[in-house]
Amino acid sequence: MPRQWVVVYSITDFITIGMLLTVVAMNSIKRIETCLRAYTLNSLLLALLMAISAFYLDAAHLYVAAAFTLVSKGIAIPLFLKKVVRDLKITREVEPNINTPLSLVITSVLVVVVYSSLSKGIFIEGFTENTLKVSVSIILISLFIMITRRKAVTQVIGLLLMENGVFLAGFSLTYGMSTIIELGVVFDVLMGVIILGVFLTQIKKSFAKVDLDKLNTLKG
Amino acid sequence: MTNLQFISILVLSPLAQGIIKKIKAQCQGRVGPGIFQPYYDLARLFKKDMVIPRTASWIFHAAPYVVFSSVLAASMLVPVFSAEGSIFRTGDVIAIIYTLAIGRFFMALGGLDAGTAFGGEGSSREMTVAILVEPSMMLAIFTAAVASGSTSLAVIARSGSVFYSPAHALALAAFFVAVIAETGRVPVDNPDTHLELTMIHEGMLLEYSGKYLALMEWAHYMKQMLLFTLAADLFFPFGMAGAGSGFGAAEAFGYYAVKIFMLCAGVAFAESTRAKMRFFQLPSLLGAAFVLSALSIITFIMTGK
Repeated sequence: MPRQWVVVYSITDFITIGMLLTVVAMNSIKRIETCLRAYTLNSLLLALLMAISAFYLDAAHLYVAAAFTLVSKGIAIPLFLKKVVRDLKITREVEPNINTPLSLVITSVLVVVVYSSLSKGIFIEGFTENTLKVSVSIILISLFIMITRRKAVTQVIGLLLMENGVFLAGFSLTYGMSTIIELGVVFDVLMGVIILGVFLTQIKKSFAKVDLDKLNTLKG
Repeated sequence: MTNLQFISILVLSPLAQGIIKKIKAQCQGRVGPGIFQPYYDLARLFKKDMVIPRTASWIFHAAPYVVFSSVLAASMLVPVFSAEGSIFRTGDVIAIIYTLAIGRFFMALGGLDAGTAFGGEGSSREMTVAILVEPSMMLAIFTAAVASGSTSLAVIARSGSVFYSPAHALALAAFFVAVIAETGRVPVDNPDTHLELTMIHEGMLLEYSGKYLALMEWAHYMKQMLLFTLAADLFFPFGMAGAGSGFGAAEAFGYYAVKIFMLCAGVAFAESTRAKMRFFQLPSLLGAAFVLSALSIITFIMTGK
């Protein structure tokens, strides 16, 4: 079978590890534009992974899903967030709650925990069990990023990365859901990002900052 | 014959330094010195008189010899273009790394012994960087060692096609950062400047002159070449001459030259496109390298390839 090269050269492993790396790199990135670029790369790798498994499994609906992912997560959301960041005039994350080396170490500990606790799973052809482990690691690391960062923008990016992780997990376990569900999820995310963008602008307007620590003093 | 491969590291290491300098100069739009310039520098330094600080003890005199011989001893254990030599049974990759550490220790002592502020500063920084680099370098090496089932470099270099996997890609990236830090190149140290606030390696050598400086510099070139060779053996283990592989010595040497040239070009490009980091930001870079190598070994153990 000519499609066998996907398995022979362990292409899916390389791409999923690349996705994991972009998320790990988020821990040491200070500039918000670079954070956005890491997210874009992550989404592009996800779309590429879907396209390659569509090719390997010869499944037309996966091509459609890959195209959706590419357009929404790879192009539309990064462009929109870039515009928000430019409008809000934020360039740098303030020092996160946990310093870079320590958060890198915590990240690798998270990966070790995930890898050692997930030893079994059900997977579709063309994926190794590596994919599920990577996606759970991505989810946990993004959660960690959301906890440690102070600026709302980076927390939004953490949320989006987490969504990518969930998507990767769902897709590697189920062959990809039917097109209508994919479409629904994609629109959900798009709407979510737009609402968060509006929120960011409002927070900036009321507090002149997007540092979420300022919200501590609010009393209901 | 195969036990004398280290001579090529001894002889060609200034050439590798010259090539890196030339590529860097081209990247910056300069003509740059010729690729044989390091040989002329060394020859000139060997002819010059030495100035010895009055406060220096015997350690200052011993350090250049210890540094040079430790690097030479380590390079004897590295397969260059053939993995057949009997000498490789006397030590593995861990022995190589820690033989290099003896040289580093004496270089730091020599810097301290001269009694100047810059020497002490350079030594203290060098040891700090060493502590940060060592774990990522060892973990990256262990990935290759686990993959081929041995810590012996000869076995790893003969292992053929097992190097193609995500784990090896991660380990190579980590090892590359470690090599940049070990050889004192740009994000970590700037080899082209004597600016007192930034220098690490140059700081330790500041009081050395003449023959001693030549020995120290030559040892530094050799260490760089040795680390490149190590990277080639660990992560591109093909094209080795030997009974099983069907490569002749000349052919294998050609492969070796190509691998080293690619690594030199990679280092030169990395150096030209980065700015020197502040010293206290180094833990982030080297921490990232450590995470890369930790991920590589986890990935290897979990995926089994």
